[in-house]
Amino acid sequence: MAGALHDTPSAPGSGLGGEPISEAEALARLRQTDDQSAQYYAAWWLGRMRSEHPEAVPLLRAALAQRQPRDPAAGVEHNAVARNAARALGKLGDAAAIADLLAALEDDDDGLREAAARALGELRAAAAVPPLSRRLASGPAGAGAPRPGSPRLQEPCEALLEALGEIGVANAEVLAVIEPFTAHDRPLIRSAACRALLQLSGDPRWAEPLLQLLQDSQLQVRRAALMDLGAVGWRPALEPICRTLAENSLKLIALRGLVENGGQQGEDPGPVLAAMDALL
Amino acid sequence: MRCCETAPLCDHTDDALPPMTTSATTSDLIRAVEEAGSAEAMLLATVRLAEAAGQCPEQAAVDCLVGVLGFNNPGAAVAAVEGLIRLGEVAVAPLLSQLDPRNYGARAWAVRALAGIGDVRGLELLEEALATDVGPSVRRAAACGLGQLRLDGLPPGQRDGLRNRCLEALVAGQADGEWVVRYAVVVGLERLAGQLEGHADGLNRARATLVGLADPGQEAVPVVRLRAERALASLPC
Repeated sequence: MAGALHDTPSAPGSGLGGEPISEAEALARLRQTDDQSAQYYAAWWLGRMRSEHPEAVPLLRAALAQRQPRDPAAGVEHNAVARNAARALGKLGDAAAIADLLAALEDDDDGLREAAARALGELRAAAAVPPLSRRLASGPAGAGAPRPGSPRLQEPCEALLEALGEIGVANAEVLAVIEPFTAHDRPLIRSAACRALLQLSGDPRWAEPLLQLLQDSQLQVRRAALMDLGAVGWRPALEPICRTLAENSLKLIALRGLVENGGQQGEDPGPVLAAMDALL
Repeated sequence: MRCCETAPLCDHTDDALPPMTTSATTSDLIRAVEEAGSAEAMLLATVRLAEAAGQCPEQAAVDCLVGVLGFNNPGAAVAAVEGLIRLGEVAVAPLLSQLDPRNYGARAWAVRALAGIGDVRGLELLEEALATDVGPSVRRAAACGLGQLRLDGLPPGQRDGLRNRCLEALVAGQADGEWVVRYAVVVGLERLAGQLEGHADGLNRARATLVGLADPGQEAVPVVRLRAERALASLPC
């Protein structure tokens, strides 16, 4: 699942959790390099506000090249500015960022690779399919093996799988790379793999495991399956989504996905809208 | 004749003897909610308590159902909200007095319950929640509720004034930063418009707002535009 913040506090007018700043202020904060937390916030702001300013993408590409160590005392993650720049570039929809994001996909920092993969997915970057596939090719026992002493896997598999599904290149090699992950030990990885296969092939047999995960005993897994069915826009999931024990906020996001990403030509979205009305 | 030993809120007129165990059963049901060891046990206990309270709404049971809204258990909260909506008027005062300013999950459920009950005492809270609450789920429930207050029994002058307050709150809500709140504003406007037949000014104001929310130049989210188009098609003349 795409790490959706489903009910983050936000001021009614701005839709922003942080302090309100102007676009010019955000650009200025990103341009300076002395205060990295100001850059971090500015990068997020430009993505969240879908900035169309001509300087936004060049400044974010420069920020994507910044590297910095993790600073647990300050609550700063490894390469925090670069990671947020990658996330923002995914939202701004400018193909000029693809080459830089492909480079970031080769970085040693798996957190940066994760952010770059998601951004390349959002940009539908077909050029990312070969490197994404290569990183996953060693399968659940390789790329999907747990790292000793860490909750993370060798590769950020969830993001890599989801990116392949989003990009939408549905050839046999890509499907063959993804399929073994439907048997991964971790339900979140299985969910991401089924989501990608369902997006790429439309084959209902990949929907069944996702519908089962809606009934998983862990809330975190049910949430991921909701987001994944929404991302696919799998209309037959309407009833199971409504029955899932999870927050209405997440069900509403999933059902929005059924309306916007799914449905045959001419299929009436009325039942999905009625279900959304009932969840408000 | 009373059916409840403590804090009677209902007045059964049938003259069968009240079961001696009513109060004990209610406190057992409350204890089952308070001591539930798992999410499933909590859900089951809440469903039972809501059913029992529906038969005979004791104050302690209503308070307990309101308390469930703050337990971060979505399944149980749904059951509690449904129970509170069935209880209707008797639940309004406890809901208003027990709102927790620090727990926006709980507030969202409380606002949903008040929205479902539709009691006019909730209007001020719904207005304030839509305009200022930091929780999108709270604002969304408030927008919905502003479309379904029950105003029919009121004198026409007062009723029109209250409807106008609902309308203005919803019109302002179209500028909310969260898509789901704007979606709820559309639904609220559609429901309110159903009560505005013959009120040309109010209907025009609702229509203009919905036209904006259906316009790709103003509204970026497809599902909001689609819902606004449907609402426009359903407006009374």
